[in-house]
Amino acid sequence: MMRLSWAGLRDRRSLFLGAVLTVCAGVALVQSSLLLLVTAATLDPPAGASPIARMRFAESNEALVAVLAVTLGLAGLLAVFIIASTFAFAVEQRRRELALLRIVGGSRRHLRRLLLGEALLLGVAGTVAGVPTGIAAMAAQAALLHRLGLAPDGFTGRWQGWVVPVSVGTGIVLALAGVLIAARRAARIRPLDALREADEVTSGMTPVRLSLGLIAAAGALVLIGLSPVGGAVGGQAMATSVSVCAVISLSLLGPALAGGLARLLPAGATGPLGLLAVANVRDDARRAASVAAPLVVLTGLLLGQAGAASTFTAAGRAEQRHDTRADLVVEGTGTPLTLPPATGVAATETQVPVALTTGSGDMAYTRITSGLVVDAGAYTRVHPDAGDLTGLRGAVVAAGPGADGFSPGDTVGIRVGDTDLGRLPVVAAVPQRIGGGASVLLPAGLLTAGQLADAPWRSFVTLAPGAGHDDVADAVPGSATLVGVEQWLRQDGAARTSSSNAVLVAVMGLGALYALIGVVNSVVITVGARRREFAAARTAGLTRAQVVRTAVTESALVTGFGLLLGGTAAAGTLLAALITTGAVSGRPTLDLPWTLAGAVVGCGFLITAATSVLASRAATRERPVTLLAARE
Amino acid sequence: MINTLPSTLAPAISVRGLSRTYGNGPTMVRAADGIDIDFPPGTWTAVMGPSGSGKSTLLHCAAGLERVDAGRVMLGDTDLTTLDDDELAVLRRTRIGFVFQSFNLIGSLTAAQNVALPLRLQGRRPRRTEITDALAAVGLSDRARSKPRQLSGGQQQRVSVARAMVTRPEVLFADEPTGALDTGSARGVLDLLRSTVEGGQTIVMVTHDPVAAARADAVVFLRDGRIVDRLVTPGVREVTDRLVALER
Repeated sequence: MMRLSWAGLRDRRSLFLGAVLTVCAGVALVQSSLLLLVTAATLDPPAGASPIARMRFAESNEALVAVLAVTLGLAGLLAVFIIASTFAFAVEQRRRELALLRIVGGSRRHLRRLLLGEALLLGVAGTVAGVPTGIAAMAAQAALLHRLGLAPDGFTGRWQGWVVPVSVGTGIVLALAGVLIAARRAARIRPLDALREADEVTSGMTPVRLSLGLIAAAGALVLIGLSPVGGAVGGQAMATSVSVCAVISLSLLGPALAGGLARLLPAGATGPLGLLAVANVRDDARRAASVAAPLVVLTGLLLGQAGAASTFTAAGRAEQRHDTRADLVVEGTGTPLTLPPATGVAATETQVPVALTTGSGDMAYTRITSGLVVDAGAYTRVHPDAGDLTGLRGAVVAAGPGADGFSPGDTVGIRVGDTDLGRLPVVAAVPQRIGGGASVLLPAGLLTAGQLADAPWRSFVTLAPGAGHDDVADAVPGSATLVGVEQWLRQDGAARTSSSNAVLVAVMGLGALYALIGVVNSVVITVGARRREFAAARTAGLTRAQVVRTAVTESALVTGFGLLLGGTAAAGTLLAALITTGAVSGRPTLDLPWTLAGAVVGCGFLITAATSVLASRAATRERPVTLLAARE
Repeated sequence: MINTLPSTLAPAISVRGLSRTYGNGPTMVRAADGIDIDFPPGTWTAVMGPSGSGKSTLLHCAAGLERVDAGRVMLGDTDLTTLDDDELAVLRRTRIGFVFQSFNLIGSLTAAQNVALPLRLQGRRPRRTEITDALAAVGLSDRARSKPRQLSGGQQQRVSVARAMVTRPEVLFADEPTGALDTGSARGVLDLLRSTVEGGQTIVMVTHDPVAAARADAVVFLRDGRIVDRLVTPGVREVTDRLVALER
């Protein structure tokens, strides 16, 4: 059987090259993300750093770990989807050959062994190529993270020997799993199917596929429904997960949806070639859905994540603007601003990293997060939405705008640098913000001036009547900056957008590239499998150029279908984001990444069209009569 | 009399009360309607009839490729209608051989590998001589390493005969084996089949071609799922006349 597998591989180079490529890229992406995640999670602060500096390092490192964890999750999801669907698709393309084996006495077990043997060879080949590719990808990804400002200087992934079995698992196990499902179906083929001229067209929907698709759809709907009660943190997490569930659901339900949508296409309105293209898509909705699947994943995840990111960033900008009452903003580190009373009043917020422990006993959980040292009265003056903070004095804390997992009435452990402040009661909470912020508010006086020596601070200045910008400028210490509140809001908004974009690029960049490989691959595989069909069309009087044009038209229809489903999945996330922003801030916000959406649509059509031109030209290189005579 | 040829030996294949319908309601087609027939060992029987007469159904059911609605198909002592899918697969690789109009060779394998395939599926490692002998028997010793697409239609069909014969099957089923071939190639394949019958092979062949049918020992004619006529040691003219009569 292994020899037959090998012969099968050699004979279908382009089909299997594509499969090896998807395994290779999938293994590389997962391995690189995993190694970088482990490296980041075990990264040590620079030697000789002060306790506070160590905490600051840990705090920004936690953000890097979070970004890498999401990257790894998406890489894993993409690998499962693209490898499994490519292999399942490759099996589907070979029904006739499998039926032939059944005729000469191959049992179902033989067929399954043949297909699994092939998957094993391809999985091994892909993994062997994927491990070194992963090392290169790791260098590229680390450089990208550094350039995006998410990773510290000198950040490089560390190779770990134990990653090899993980990569083997990713490559080989996913290839086998993808084939296993398809092989069970394929082995059920009846020997007589080999005698039929055309492959039997199946709907492609199985009860298992249908149920899994509906469960994932229900998951997406439940997440949309729950997003308004999830708060700022939970709501955002739910909203971004909607498109993940929706992408899984729509890919699984693709064949059924493709069948339905194809019937809506106008037949015959577009001349004979259009008619042929529409008929082909209608006739084999399953194939259309398989080709579209990677595009659904790419569009749904990319536009979903980007739409969520830009919406939440826009909401963050809006709430910052809505909830800041000041004339000027001064930012600096170390010695804070002191203003002569005649000039105005300054509300100073000093940022310190804190080790926050929530829960107690076995449930205690400590993380490094950010705290803000504030004067309660000044804070409520600048942020009128904050509510009543009069209790925030002495040895207490309040839940900040970025708080998660604790509320007034709880006690939380607080450590700043090497000073353990013990367990402090949470006496108040300011409203959660979509844009996040400090987890805890600490009353001024809780920390000593020494502990705040190098801390960055921000002062919101309300000018006294008759005072102006220049009066404040005189009081500003040398290293600090002074800007008008309008300019500060613009700068803050731009910083939020740029950091949200950086996270998006880090998380989706290589993943999108991988999904794109999957898109190209599925087009190449389908077109390559249709040589005989193309030859038959040419004997019916189509020129080679007309065959290519038909293939491109079909490709465009399928691309449109993929973009539509992907867009629907992304729309689910946007709906949840709209609901979440409305529930948290009272201002339902939607900010669509139009440029990216336009680029995805344009590139989607362009790349699938270019691929199908090249693939269909290659598939029509031989004279049709040669192909039709040499029947297998 | 249900034997096509008088024979004292037990039939290689015996079909009793075979019925098979397709579709239901107004579109129902009765492709086999209580067919009884024996195929004696070492004989070549051609099955003829107009399109839709049920000849392919008879062949597919007799070979265990198609489920029957009623009746029995005995291959020696084995009732094919009681076997499950895996048992039928084993049967196909050990006791039955097939030759089809469209050759149905596996395109990725060489001629020799195609011939060896049924033996490998049995879990055997075929001896080199077994394969070279099988290819030599069909006159293709020199094309062992060729892939199907490098062979002419006649050569491909001879490889598929070699593949079908390599397991020394009890019965060789042939479905329009000359249907896709030119006259010269067709004659070569028919000569080949004739020589296997002389060596004791049983062949059941469906064909449209009176020339091919005339090479058989007997011809049965089907219409509307029933056997309506038969000829022993037929001539081309006789076969053509019966066929024309059936089409009326």
